[in-house]
Amino acid sequence: MSRALEFLRASQNADGGWGYKNGGMSFVEPTAAALLAFSLDANSNTQVQRARAFLKTLQRQDGGWGIAAPDDESGWMTAWAVWALASHEPAAAERGVGWLLQNAGIRVADQKQVEGVKNVLHIDATITGWAWQPGDAAWIFPTALSLLALHAQNVREHPRVQESIQFLLDRAISTGGWNIGNPFMVTGSLPPTVENTALALMALDAFGIENETTRRAQNVLAQENFTHTAFEWAWRAWYWKTIHAPLERARATLETLQRADGSFDGNVFTTALVALTFDI
Amino acid sequence: MNRNLSRRTLLRLALGTGILAGGAVIYKQTESVGLDKWLRWMLRGQTARLASPTRVALATVPSYDADLLGAIRALWRDANAPNLENARVVLKPNLVDSIPGRPCFTAPQVTRALIQFLRDEIQVKSVVVAEGTTFRRDPHAILLETGYREMLTQERIEFVDLNYDDLVKIPLRGGYAKMDFLFMARTVVEADALISLPKLKTHHWTRISGSIKNLFGIVPGVKYGFPKNTLHIHGIDAFLAELLDSLPTPKRFALVDGIVGLQGDGPLFGTPVATGALLGGGDFLAVDATCARLMGFDPAQIEILAFMAWAGLGQIEAAKIELRGASLDELQKRYEPAPRV
Repeated sequence: MSRALEFLRASQNADGGWGYKNGGMSFVEPTAAALLAFSLDANSNTQVQRARAFLKTLQRQDGGWGIAAPDDESGWMTAWAVWALASHEPAAAERGVGWLLQNAGIRVADQKQVEGVKNVLHIDATITGWAWQPGDAAWIFPTALSLLALHAQNVREHPRVQESIQFLLDRAISTGGWNIGNPFMVTGSLPPTVENTALALMALDAFGIENETTRRAQNVLAQENFTHTAFEWAWRAWYWKTIHAPLERARATLETLQRADGSFDGNVFTTALVALTFDI
Repeated sequence: MNRNLSRRTLLRLALGTGILAGGAVIYKQTESVGLDKWLRWMLRGQTARLASPTRVALATVPSYDADLLGAIRALWRDANAPNLENARVVLKPNLVDSIPGRPCFTAPQVTRALIQFLRDEIQVKSVVVAEGTTFRRDPHAILLETGYREMLTQERIEFVDLNYDDLVKIPLRGGYAKMDFLFMARTVVEADALISLPKLKTHHWTRISGSIKNLFGIVPGVKYGFPKNTLHIHGIDAFLAELLDSLPTPKRFALVDGIVGLQGDGPLFGTPVATGALLGGGDFLAVDATCARLMGFDPAQIEILAFMAWAGLGQIEAAKIELRGASLDELQKRYEPAPRV
């Protein structure tokens, strides 16, 4: 797995950030993931310092982060930046927390609309979490990510935290796991996806939630035929690492999926997720 | 003083009242978008009515094992497709998801035949297959499950994930969606040509999903979310009109996989319909109107198509679409409509 780290080192941009692909424009998400990965490595102080500086430069006046330099609107990647900066840049992270707590997904109040949404999507629209962008509905990925960011910054008892935990539990698929946001669409059940299931489980685990919903999701994640790409294996392995589950099989599979350049699918973000998991 | 109104005065009053009432109606209708935009769209729509018919070509293709290359060759000629020699071409299939038994994505056989045609016969400079998936962040899982990974490897064609591409800020020309600009993937912005390769299917938001709805995949999910719901919130019809009106690629073409379509609860959970058709053209709206007719729907009754035609973004009237190739009447089916949401 050290080749993954080499790939990441070589693909850091001059501005200190990382793109999703080698040489691509720097984005907050791959930068934060790479920063979290390099923070585990004592020999990567230069990369870490440059990445932190990049993230701090991109913080907006309102305390949030856009997705990249050209984006002048704070959004969901604020959670990534808060998480990555929580331990060493508390002031920046705190301003990010402020933005997160001030922004929520759409919460439906009209009873007729609530019933309509319940019929079509099988969800309780009165409960919300975090959106990808202000003005949007809440979705699993930004909600779980924001919970993890708040947890990293020691925000545990805030009402938004409690509501978002309820949001995750409400949006779970009855047979186990999570997809992007709704377990059902018009006439069919939507299947779970690995990244949403793994991230939601990580968030619930961080807040000590363990129940039938999380157990069903864990079973889904453990299914042999569920994942077959580097991205999906990386998410699964990262979650298993957080609950101290065995990682041998994930490691062996990921090694077969690693490219000659050390990357996974040529994607910096996926490669950083793998690096995060295996403490390189 | 004569207190009786003269006939002339009465007529003047009636005319004045009529003008005021008409003005009030137009004001009310245009209040949300502004009179200047409304007039611009309306005038462009009226001008489009005077334009000569646009061409859409149809080909009968009974199955994915049939001569797809031959069908595409004939269709390309019949549709008067743009000259793409030496062009950098982006192919955008619909890879919304992969669900067993649900033909919700463009068949890889169609994309493969088009790649071979463009590369070997048109001699384009380069061709890539690109998509920004909506329900899953990982396109590799979908590429694997749909057979695209194997096909792309065999054809040695690069796949570009449009969700993770570099961003380019594109000014929006139309003003339909109250957005000034949109982030778009650099690969699309810098291409010479974009070919939309949709699946013929019904859709519970837009009634049908064709070449225009397929454009949703060219905007980055990392900005607009998965499943890019922010753009639905701006009004899906208005947003799609923006996309069509503001497409930066100088040349475009649509080729629709209607060999096996999807009816009922599209875009994901519908059921297959063996339709045996490929169709294509350069006017995306005319192509989608023909898709609607092929599925047994009246395009004038599909709000999104009617609005775009009214605004002059293409043709939907049968009299303004010159059909070439196979017979629409012979290929036409009766698709079950998508449930209204």
